[in-house]
Amino acid sequence: MAETYIVKTEVNGKRYQGRAEARTTLADFLRDQLNLTGTHLGCEHGVCGACTILMEGRSIRSCLMFAVQADGKSLETIEGLAESDGTLHPIQEAFSKHHALQCGFCTPGFLMTIIEYLAEGGEADEETIRQRLSGNLCRCTGYQGIVKAVGEVAARSGSAPTSG
Amino acid sequence: MTQSLAPRLLGAKVKRVEDPRFLLGKARYIDDMVRPGMLHAAFLRSPIPHGNVRSVDVGPALAMERVRAALTGRDIATKVKPIVCDSTFEGFKSSNYHAIALDKVRYVGEALAIVAADTRYIAEDAIEMIEFDIDELGPVASIAAATREGAPLLHEHWGDNFFIEDLLEAGDVESAFRDAHGVFEINVSNQRHSGIPLETRGVIAEFDSDGVLTMWSATQIPHMVRTGMADCLEVPEHKIRVIAPDVGGGFGPKGHLFPEELAVCQLAIETGRPIKWIEDRREHMLSTFHAREHYHRVKVAYTEEGVVTALDATIEVDCGAYSIYPWTAAMDVEMGLVMLPGPYKIRNFRCEAQSVATNKCPFGAYRGVARTAVCFSIERIMDQVANKVGLDPVEVRRRNLIRSDEFPYMSITGMEYDSGSLIESLDKVCDEADYKAMRQFQEEARSEGRMVGIGVSVFTEQTAPPADKGLPLNFSWDAATVRMDPSGKVVVQVGTHSHGQGHETTLAQIVADELELPLADVRIAFGDTESTPNGIGTFASRSAVVAGSASYLAAVSVKENLTERAAHLLEASVEDVEVKAGRISVKGAPEQSVSIAEVARISYHHPELLDPSMEPLLEAVATYNAGPGTYANSAQIALIEVDAETGKFKILRYLVVEDCGQMINPTIVDGQVHGGIAQGLGGALFEELIYDDEGQLLTTTFLDYLMPGATDIPNIEVSHLVTPSAFVPNGIKGMGEGGAVAPGAVLACAIEDAIKPIGEVFVDRTPLTPERVVRFIEAASSGGGVE
Repeated sequence: MAETYIVKTEVNGKRYQGRAEARTTLADFLRDQLNLTGTHLGCEHGVCGACTILMEGRSIRSCLMFAVQADGKSLETIEGLAESDGTLHPIQEAFSKHHALQCGFCTPGFLMTIIEYLAEGGEADEETIRQRLSGNLCRCTGYQGIVKAVGEVAARSGSAPTSG
Repeated sequence: MTQSLAPRLLGAKVKRVEDPRFLLGKARYIDDMVRPGMLHAAFLRSPIPHGNVRSVDVGPALAMERVRAALTGRDIATKVKPIVCDSTFEGFKSSNYHAIALDKVRYVGEALAIVAADTRYIAEDAIEMIEFDIDELGPVASIAAATREGAPLLHEHWGDNFFIEDLLEAGDVESAFRDAHGVFEINVSNQRHSGIPLETRGVIAEFDSDGVLTMWSATQIPHMVRTGMADCLEVPEHKIRVIAPDVGGGFGPKGHLFPEELAVCQLAIETGRPIKWIEDRREHMLSTFHAREHYHRVKVAYTEEGVVTALDATIEVDCGAYSIYPWTAAMDVEMGLVMLPGPYKIRNFRCEAQSVATNKCPFGAYRGVARTAVCFSIERIMDQVANKVGLDPVEVRRRNLIRSDEFPYMSITGMEYDSGSLIESLDKVCDEADYKAMRQFQEEARSEGRMVGIGVSVFTEQTAPPADKGLPLNFSWDAATVRMDPSGKVVVQVGTHSHGQGHETTLAQIVADELELPLADVRIAFGDTESTPNGIGTFASRSAVVAGSASYLAAVSVKENLTERAAHLLEASVEDVEVKAGRISVKGAPEQSVSIAEVARISYHHPELLDPSMEPLLEAVATYNAGPGTYANSAQIALIEVDAETGKFKILRYLVVEDCGQMINPTIVDGQVHGGIAQGLGGALFEELIYDDEGQLLTTTFLDYLMPGATDIPNIEVSHLVTPSAFVPNGIKGMGEGGAVAPGAVLACAIEDAIKPIGEVFVDRTPLTPERVVRFIEAASSGGGVE
């Protein structure tokens, strides 16, 4: 039996402890051990962006990291985006409004990428948004609704001063 | 006249009701599901494109800790029949596609063994341990290699490498060529690529003690897959249940019966344990069916006015190793054969078509089957004619298109176009683009030495088609059950499957309207063969037409039953009551009324209050058959600017006019157009599955196979015309595939146009990579062709 290591993380503000082999990816750990299946795997080689989550506030590809690398770290995944009473985050609302999702498989990865962008006080300018989204693949929407949704929320939050 | 209190939902931009579960990360895709005692499978796949299998020894894998089972082709040879899917066309040659290769492997990626272990990691370790011995045969990695004298044969008993050779001839081609003002020939090709959904394939199979086999699979066609499973496995169809959960994109590739589904099921049957297999991306590129690889040679006759009078064509399709279920290896050539004339009035036509077997992944369905290729050819022809007679590409199309007053129109190849707005859509897209201003912009840009081009394309899209042309089953229909419960709310069960198309919203819009209920009172269920009527599935732009109409007809029936019961309760005649906004009332006496919920409650729980002739059940099943299919159409224009040095080009504008008849939900229609065009652009720009001469696939990751990202796709400007279907209830037409059809043709036209000031060049193929564009520019400046 392969050796396993204890992994303690905080995910969406909740503390978790699990065991993982050295080779277990963070994505598989989240999905299989913590039952957080909202993080999806589209390529498992770091290109499609479907598995994007935040680690210490920065976006990472959870397919390219090992679970043991998350030990002692704080993570944010799609499951933590809405309020605990189920109220959607403004970007989730905007996605629905602008038909920014179809099959939904890439959606969690996009949302986490965008959360980081918004937290940085990202601009509402289309060119900049497209650049920032270029690390996530969507096969259904042609990106138009996604770009619109980000633009709308960025413009709204841009009116308030941001720390960036 | 009394107006309906509730605004009609049909045609409204209703926000999707299914969105929240996807936005919250709570959707249930196949890989999110766990069954008690479940094992995880992995496949050993052949690294050899063509060879005789001497032995496959899974012993060393089984000796590993926590490896529970393994099967080879020999192990299942007497239990699992190969997938056989023959075209009904004369001369089609049959192939045996084994769930796991038996005596021979015919493409890199074909399964040699399946292993099940406690985790996927261990299963993958185990396949590394399997020993196999394959005698290599010469690889046949292209049509040229397959058809040359003495080529190795994929299926020896055939005597050659052709699945089918067909010929269609209509009109008087010879006279048309003799009388032509001009004649030319084009030689064009589209590269192998595919739908590549972001979610790969996946299967969970479970066999219970009652002998019932349940398979969860990321499929677009649960019912058809079940029939195929019963044909191959030793389990009768009534003991097979197929469930398609949330599916992360389909686009055609997930609309097949796959050998992996059979192998995983057989392993579940033999072990008595649930087995899960989730495909990885490399496996997907190697073994989920490919598409699009067409080679066309077309001789064209045209008049002085630029009217095309005859086509004499050859269509060759590289179909890979096996005929696939349920579409066969004849699908692309047979559809290409009848659709090549497209939206144009060409009355003399001859076409030879060949499906060629090669040592490549089998060839299957992808959004807009065959139509991308025939659209590319016929549009390239229109552009050539425009050049030769000195007409604008828009004008030459106008002269050849079927006019609106000519519908219904029977094409020379026997296709019944029911309705359309071809010239109007072309005119409208020119208006929206301000075509004159666009040309002026181009002139100014050219005077500054910039390379700006305009591309245009028009096409007609057969939606909800039948399969009376050679397929082993006809899928012109689908079914729906509308089931009202005692609270007066409704579940609609349909045979189609929604994997992004938004059926949970659109079908509910149709039913809610008919039953005068709020949208929230109607829920759409699909994907489980046990709880939906037997149906067909989702592909070929069919669901809005067939499932939409079946749902509508079932709702009409339930409404009639409701009305009858309400009339009885109100002591009025059926003709004197009406259903409005959730209530049924006596016409002109709205105070004499009863709610739908009350009628439903009485119907189920107090049937003694009804007339004895009335049954308690408020439920109806309906089927809808769309016959020859109904035709949508579209016109598209792009404005591009080419960087002469790098060959990279920027799409400055991309405009679409779409006519899919009565729209159910314009937001969803636009989304389908955007997504379709993005896929079409991906294929036009860079997506390519490249095999080397040895039959090895070189593009097995997203680093080698480029998918379009947010910076590659422009904003698409979509507008609409509405020409209702001539026969479908509510005037609905399908439209899901259309967007993907034209981008290759549009961009080829635009690039040629951009290069024009340098010289004439014929853009003969996709993808239009920067490297290739540079070669077109060089060819234009040297006045020569391109190789």
